Amino acid sequence: MTPSLQRRLLVVASLVLMAFLGATGMALDQAFRTSLIQAQKDRLQGFLYTLMAGADVTDGELRIPDDLPEGRFHQIGSGLYAVVLDEHGETTWRSRSLIGRELTVDRVLPPGERDFYLAELNDDRLVGLAYGLSWEDPEAGRGEFTLHVAEAIAFRVQERAAYRRSLWGWLGGAAIGLLLAQILVLRWGLRPLRRVARDLSLIERGDKSALDGRYPREIQGLTDRLNQLIRGERERTERYRNSLADLAHSLKTPLAVLRTSLEADSSRPPTPETMDQIDRIHATVDYQLGRAALAGPPRFGESTRIQPLARRIVDTLPKTRAGGPPEIELVCPDEMRFPGPEGDLMEILGNLVDNACKWCHGRILLAVSSRRHRSGPQTLRICMEDDGPGVPDSERERILQRGERVDESRPGHGIGLAMVADLARNYRGTIRIDRSPDLGGARFMLEIPMPH
Amino acid sequence: MRLLLVEDEQELAAQLIRRLQDEGFVVDHADDGPGGLHFATDYPVDLAIVDLGLPGFSGLELIERLRAGGSRLPVLILTARQAWQDRVAGLEAGADDYLGKPFRMEELLARVNALLRRVGGWAHPVLEAGPLALDTRSQSASLRGQALDLTAYEYRLLAYLMHHPQTVVSKSELTEHLYPDDSDRDSNVIEVFIRRLRQKLDPDGDLQPIETLRGRGYCFRLGADRA
Repeated sequence: MTPSLQRRLLVVASLVLMAFLGATGMALDQAFRTSLIQAQKDRLQGFLYTLMAGADVTDGELRIPDDLPEGRFHQIGSGLYAVVLDEHGETTWRSRSLIGRELTVDRVLPPGERDFYLAELNDDRLVGLAYGLSWEDPEAGRGEFTLHVAEAIAFRVQERAAYRRSLWGWLGGAAIGLLLAQILVLRWGLRPLRRVARDLSLIERGDKSALDGRYPREIQGLTDRLNQLIRGERERTERYRNSLADLAHSLKTPLAVLRTSLEADSSRPPTPETMDQIDRIHATVDYQLGRAALAGPPRFGESTRIQPLARRIVDTLPKTRAGGPPEIELVCPDEMRFPGPEGDLMEILGNLVDNACKWCHGRILLAVSSRRHRSGPQTLRICMEDDGPGVPDSERERILQRGERVDESRPGHGIGLAMVADLARNYRGTIRIDRSPDLGGARFMLEIPMPH
Repeated sequence: MRLLLVEDEQELAAQLIRRLQDEGFVVDHADDGPGGLHFATDYPVDLAIVDLGLPGFSGLELIERLRAGGSRLPVLILTARQAWQDRVAGLEAGADDYLGKPFRMEELLARVNALLRRVGGWAHPVLEAGPLALDTRSQSASLRGQALDLTAYEYRLLAYLMHHPQTVVSKSELTEHLYPDDSDRDSNVIEVFIRRLRQKLDPDGDLQPIETLRGRGYCFRLGADRA
């Protein structure tokens, strides 16, 4: 199965976001490093000027007094060091902070040039600045020196780590925030699609007849087409049923005329074969056209609430029973639904109730329930029980086949139960006949799997 | 018993009328909805047989209008539409029974008789009142197990009275329900038939099944404890 739209968008967006934020972080880090180095250079330059301001050339040597404004030059191991080399690379002066330490510097630069470098002293990393200068003195003459200033960068490294921590912290926070926003935007943006899906399932359950909500322009075309399809399907089924009913009607009226006129002619009573053939035509018309009109599980699953329909049938059919209406118990929770159109359910319940009324002594029970097997779908169960004589084992199979009737003396030509069995098969369900445990008569148990 | 047949298929209607008359019913016929409603409301019919697909307005509407007018006339629907939806709709509209076309004539007669009995409160096809038994299937009567030799008119008279037990039935009601429009309506004929019936039902004069209420009519009182 392909991943959901939301998941696709989310994955792609997260990847893009991470790449983008990563690049941003690296750029910012690089910029910070550059600015740190620049600041370091500026500081070293500053120290250089401080040293030069206090410098003095005596006897051809550059001397720097011990009362420099920057006290760290005098503090031993302070991390700020200075060395003066003459033009031959000989050390002529060392700052007091270097006492007990050996800083090896040997670069000699021509006057006016400068050079930054990295060095090590004991375990400290240093950034150094070498600067070549020449000194003109009327008394001492001209001398060339190279001034080295170096500063330990331990503090700088810590500073950068702190910066990095906070940088990545902020970027990470922003990434999470953006992702959350993204999820919300996606949810909101995909909501119309979800609504279409939900409305479709409402249509399937029969709670709605069309996608009647307002949808964004992009999917309005889709929903319009779906509506047309659903409507077209319903109209087609309706037309089909009507023409079948008309066909049945126009066949049965002449049959009735034929039958009555044969029976009425007392001078030439009809042969049993003639009547038999008429009965067979009648049964065929009823069964085949009736069966063709049954819809079966609908493509755009509509469903029917069972309770009101069962109530209507139970309230009307039994009053036609010859011996007066039996005592009827209807057990059907309100929320029960049949996964098909009303006509099919009517056919099932009508035939079952009619049959029970025909055979019962005075009590029938119609119970509708739903069961969920541990593995497998939910099953709708329709149970019709009566207190009549029941159906003998040997007949159980037979009465569910078309055109069979166990007792010829009772009215009807025995296609009702076959129709119910057909319907059960259409809905991938089963029908079973056994003995009613409570009423003692027949029990017809219909089980139909529910979709989803 | 007087029946109303509302059926627009002329051939079928003609056959049904003939057959029902053979069975001793008085039959009125209408071939559309408005005509049927007119007969059902203005004529003293005991039962209506109504087709659903009628010109004018449908049989369903006829029944609805009839019931809306407060009529309790027993109605049997006779139609080629046999889907349960149509049956339930017909019964909900107020019909009492339903028969699909084509049908066996015996079945139609059985249902008509059953409906007529139900109005009088009889559940079984054999109406029993004391020692008297009326079998609506074979259209015969017996007294203490001995078959009575009744003419067709006598049987119809007794059947009508037994279908309306404990009820005062006037002479004009009897003529209206037992004789077609063009028959002799002389009420003396009724008196003659009642007298003959009494002789056959109660030769010893100890049962007095039919009481005469002077100026009002007759009342069948036998087996009042049947309740």
